[in-house]
Amino acid sequence: MFFTLNEIVRWFGMTVFEMCLSLVAWFTFSVLAVLKHENVLVTASWWTVFIPLFVCDGLNTYFCVIVFIRMYREAQYRVATFRFFSSIICLICMFVFKLLFCQKLNNKMGLSYSEMVSPLFIVLQIMMVKACQVY
Amino acid sequence: MAVLHRALFTWFIALLFLILLVLRLDGKAQWNWFIIFIPLWLFDVILLAYIGFNMLIHCKNGYDRNEMTMLRKVCFLVATIFKLVFEILVCVRFQYKQTLSLYIVAGPAWALLLMAIGETSRSLFNLLFP
Repeated sequence: MFFTLNEIVRWFGMTVFEMCLSLVAWFTFSVLAVLKHENVLVTASWWTVFIPLFVCDGLNTYFCVIVFIRMYREAQYRVATFRFFSSIICLICMFVFKLLFCQKLNNKMGLSYSEMVSPLFIVLQIMMVKACQVY
Repeated sequence: MAVLHRALFTWFIALLFLILLVLRLDGKAQWNWFIIFIPLWLFDVILLAYIGFNMLIHCKNGYDRNEMTMLRKVCFLVATIFKLVFEILVCVRFQYKQTLSLYIVAGPAWALLLMAIGETSRSLFNLLFP
């Protein structure tokens, strides 16, 4: 309501399909996380719970590369390069955040929450630059 | 409001909330969880006012500038209420009642996510089969 879907697509630089995929992944993850926390999934580790998010990141990276190749073949070099790098940086940051979050839940590293969330701050800065650039 | 203003406002709210959340989780601040969520309350109030204003204009004129039906507006209103309820339940769980079941806390978030999946799927379907 506050934003139309087209505005979000332009701002985030994601296609509707990628967005739908991410939403499904987050929904599955949240269900699995709650089940794990409530001791329904006793044997599953936190890595298992995070699988939907990692799969979604992998698929989104694949689509990003495909879009880059297609745009490059259509001679849209500048737009293709900019879109590819901004999307890849966001995807890497989100992946690192999820990785750190999973390790935090597994108590593998003595990470603080500020260290864990730091990739999200980078994503937020990129979002701000994108907003100013697109609109 | 122009799109840029809305985008920058949303960005600022997200940044402020993330900073407050990290401070609280790291134990640097011992504030009440309802205070940590103030940026999100502000965003929700503005969102509800925005939807309410658009519904009022629609009822008054009998049509919408962006050709959005009243049913979709009601759906957005319900989604915002789900978001608000989820935030309240998270605050209650962290601040007052640690024994509150996560199923109850996550329920509104799941409903919200399912609505968002439905909305994006509908748009995707319209794009593929115009």
